[in-house]
Amino acid sequence: MHVPDGFLSPQVTLPALAVAAPLWAWGARRHFGRSALDALPVMGALTALAVVIQTIMIPVPGGTSVHLVGAVLLALLFGPTVAFVCEGLVLAIQAVALGAGGVTVLGVNALALGLLGPLAGWLLFRALRAPFPRAAAFLAGWAGMQVSTAAVVGALALQHALDPRYFPAPPGVVAVAMLVPSALGGVAEGMYTVFAMALLGKAGVRVGEAGGTAHA
Amino acid sequence: MPEPRRSQALLAGGLAAAFALSAARSPAPLAAALALAALLFRRGIVRQARRVARAVLPVSLLLAGASAAAARLAGGAWPDPAPYALLVLRAVTIALVVFSVLARADLQRALLPFPTASRLLVLTLAQVHALRLLATDSLLGLRSRMPRKPGAVDLLRGAGGITAALLTLSLRNARDVADAMRSRGF
Repeated sequence: MHVPDGFLSPQVTLPALAVAAPLWAWGARRHFGRSALDALPVMGALTALAVVIQTIMIPVPGGTSVHLVGAVLLALLFGPTVAFVCEGLVLAIQAVALGAGGVTVLGVNALALGLLGPLAGWLLFRALRAPFPRAAAFLAGWAGMQVSTAAVVGALALQHALDPRYFPAPPGVVAVAMLVPSALGGVAEGMYTVFAMALLGKAGVRVGEAGGTAHA
Repeated sequence: MPEPRRSQALLAGGLAAAFALSAARSPAPLAAALALAALLFRRGIVRQARRVARAVLPVSLLLAGASAAAARLAGGAWPDPAPYALLVLRAVTIALVVFSVLARADLQRALLPFPTASRLLVLTLAQVHALRLLATDSLLGLRSRMPRKPGAVDLLRGAGGITAALLTLSLRNARDVADAMRSRGF
């Protein structure tokens, strides 16, 4: 789901980075700035958790597999801005260490995978959690992945509109190619969110507002 | 140039080069950049090229090929291959430059003037290592307990359990590290 380096021009990547960078700074200051001593290890732990979650591959029909994102789970547990900061770090580590995504597209990927998707999932969960907590968690995971994918499709469509020779695939083709596997992958992400939330509840980790997760 | 200035300059130059390369709209500047990178970073270039061939080339080829095939299905004729080839060439060139720069820059030293970022990097990488070991052990345990190959639902249920263990372990680790840092006067 990441956009690789070279698929988007600076006309798209630089504005995205200009939007993402202040949001990272604001999110880090808001949630991790009170005390560096307590904040840094927690932030490192959450980022590491997201990196490891993304290595868990789920097979989908057709012989391929999708990987979990886990950013919606972080958003449900700690709030969307914490998820955005942690996912930004995850993407940076993946770009530098693994060559997944890339350094020029970091802003676009972070906004799509770390902000828009988790924010949509978090809002959906808040709206539906009182009557249907499990269905809300499933829908949050599924919808988060769809919104992230739609945002990536939107960025590629914008690049195609700006210069079709730079990114030649038409938006309709990209949308079908990305949204159909994403709908299947979203089922896995939704089920994963439900299982993880249920087990975290049993383990005594309460789901709360931003930064409000605590052990019973 | 002394450290950390040298690593910082290298990283800043690499980032600027990556953005400049991402603006390339013809193969000539990319080919020139590849030749220049091979000249500037000749020590270890084969290793970095292998890394690019393993990590970046297959994904870029797959994405560009799938896009061209989807356009063929939608339009009825194969599209002009040049822009698709350029996508792959751009991705590969940027990756080679970034990997070569990263191999020469010392990230830890570059972050020395930013102690918070430096500690965060160390903590994150250490936790990634610890959690990956736990995740691998848990997945192997799941496979050994099942009489058949685990399916998607088994993996998802296992992933949920692993996440609960990872989250509780990582938060406990976080508290331990915070205590250790406090006791060392940070």
